[in-house]
Amino acid sequence: MIEAQHLTKRYGTTVAVDEASFAVRPGRVTGFLGPNGAGKSTTMRMILGLDTPSSGSVLVNGKPYRELTDPLRSVGALLDAKAIVGGRSAAGHLAWLADSNGIGRRRVTEVLGMVGLSDVAGKRIGTFSLGMNQRLGIAAALLGDPETLMFDEPINGLDPDGILWIRNLMKSLAAQGRTVFLSSHLMSEMAQTADHLLVIARGRIIADASTDEFVNRNSTASVRVRALQPADLAAALTRRGALVERCPDGAMIVTGLDSAAIGGAASADDITLLELAVHGASLEEAFFELTRDETDYQAGQLTGTSQGA
Amino acid sequence: MSATTCIRTPARPVPAASISQTRKARIFKARIFKARIFKAEWTKLRTLPSTWRTAALNLALGIGFSVAVSFSQISQWHTMTAQQRQVFDPTSASMSGVMIAAVVLGTLAVRTVTAEYSTGMIRSTFAAMPARRLVLAAKAATVAAFAFPVTLLGNLGGFELGQRIFAGRHAAVTIGHPGVLRAMVFGAVAVSLVAVIGVGVGGLIRHTAGAATTLALIIIGGLTVGQFLPAGWRQYLPGIATQAAVTVHRSAGLLHPGTAIMVLAVYAAITVGAASLRVAHRDA
Repeated sequence: MIEAQHLTKRYGTTVAVDEASFAVRPGRVTGFLGPNGAGKSTTMRMILGLDTPSSGSVLVNGKPYRELTDPLRSVGALLDAKAIVGGRSAAGHLAWLADSNGIGRRRVTEVLGMVGLSDVAGKRIGTFSLGMNQRLGIAAALLGDPETLMFDEPINGLDPDGILWIRNLMKSLAAQGRTVFLSSHLMSEMAQTADHLLVIARGRIIADASTDEFVNRNSTASVRVRALQPADLAAALTRRGALVERCPDGAMIVTGLDSAAIGGAASADDITLLELAVHGASLEEAFFELTRDETDYQAGQLTGTSQGA
Repeated sequence: MSATTCIRTPARPVPAASISQTRKARIFKARIFKARIFKAEWTKLRTLPSTWRTAALNLALGIGFSVAVSFSQISQWHTMTAQQRQVFDPTSASMSGVMIAAVVLGTLAVRTVTAEYSTGMIRSTFAAMPARRLVLAAKAATVAAFAFPVTLLGNLGGFELGQRIFAGRHAAVTIGHPGVLRAMVFGAVAVSLVAVIGVGVGGLIRHTAGAATTLALIIIGGLTVGQFLPAGWRQYLPGIATQAAVTVHRSAGLLHPGTAIMVLAVYAAITVGAASLRVAHRDA
């Protein structure tokens, strides 16, 4: 359980995190979604007591992180898998972490097995691939068998096998009743992994909802339709309150009416439909819609998502 | 819901015995907590193969340097005046390697801090052990505890070989000679204190190259820049104080070994104190 109250971090005049208030609850995977530079990592560092908030507070299991006794037994975190001294072996790295929180060495062997690094336990970390580093970082997070787990962009640089592995691991950890907090800038990844979403842009929490709810609320499903009498259909639909956009190929993208209503309108006016297809809104589009006014650096218009909110 | 539905438990005085029990438990818990931090930092130092390579390198270079200085001293024996021979200190000459140890083990100490800052692993350290000042103290203590026996071994090796060289001129002393054991131990203490200074410098500068260069200048700088200082000031420079720690004969321009150790201890306390303030208050 993580609770933030008006959490704010300023660097000079730049506001990295702006009055963020949220709760990350146990038993589900909460995705922390936002474009790069939105304030995800800063928020996570404040949760771990690494950065001091300019104002506001954040509690982990009801306490400020720095007041936890044996913090690794309460919170396991992976911030940056490459942030590790390369000279030690994987087992050596986990050994000092275990010692620091009074965790037995047997647990080191155990977590190495859990992440599939048993065979390279004695190898220098410096020789590891990024994927192996990620696994080691996850082993470190699991070391204290903590109630709360936090991962910053854990799938960056992983191959498809690794991504699937992490996705299933997150889900199983949440199913065990743990609090799982996972950041990413990849919306598609979040759609497949997270049950709940916390969306951040320019340091502000702009959405806190279940993944399904978020998609439904923030995206307008549209219908692509083609008719023998396009002008008549456009007129009939506009009359019923729909927003109609003409495409160069003669099709129309209709928002504000569902496919049944469009079919009904067409038959009432004796219009022959050639095509009627529901264009489902994806999380990607929902996210884009929500953050397009918030992102610092807007790329050019993406094709196919130009409906306007 | 109204407040009237709540039943208030009357305040009950806590028995005195349970207060002292909880205090004892808290003190016990605090001790375990500190012990864990020291153990973790020792595990860190121990599990890094470069720690052992550095120790081996230090012994080879240090003893080699001691032998070289001893040879160079004895080769000038025939040109030395009777008075020069009188003040010649075969003990400190054969333990010249202590300066090498100060630089090599001091740099090792610097790296225990800067390697973590430069890779970002310091965040894992402070997430696992949020008591940052204790972490820095534990780093200083473990690296000092490591430097002590390594330097002592180097001093012993240098002494034994050096005395064999001096024996040819009947200038050698034995380990039982007054002041020799003290010089050996004080030399190791001096290097341990330099290691503590190294941890402090690492915490203040945080970049390996910058911090290691600074430490080297602090130690060796006294031999170069220090030449321009009046002798009365010069003897307080950390490098010169380290040299003084291994002396048996009092010589001009060097502090008494005991005073030299105290001077180094003051430097160590100041640098680690400053570093712990800085490390505790800034974002990791």
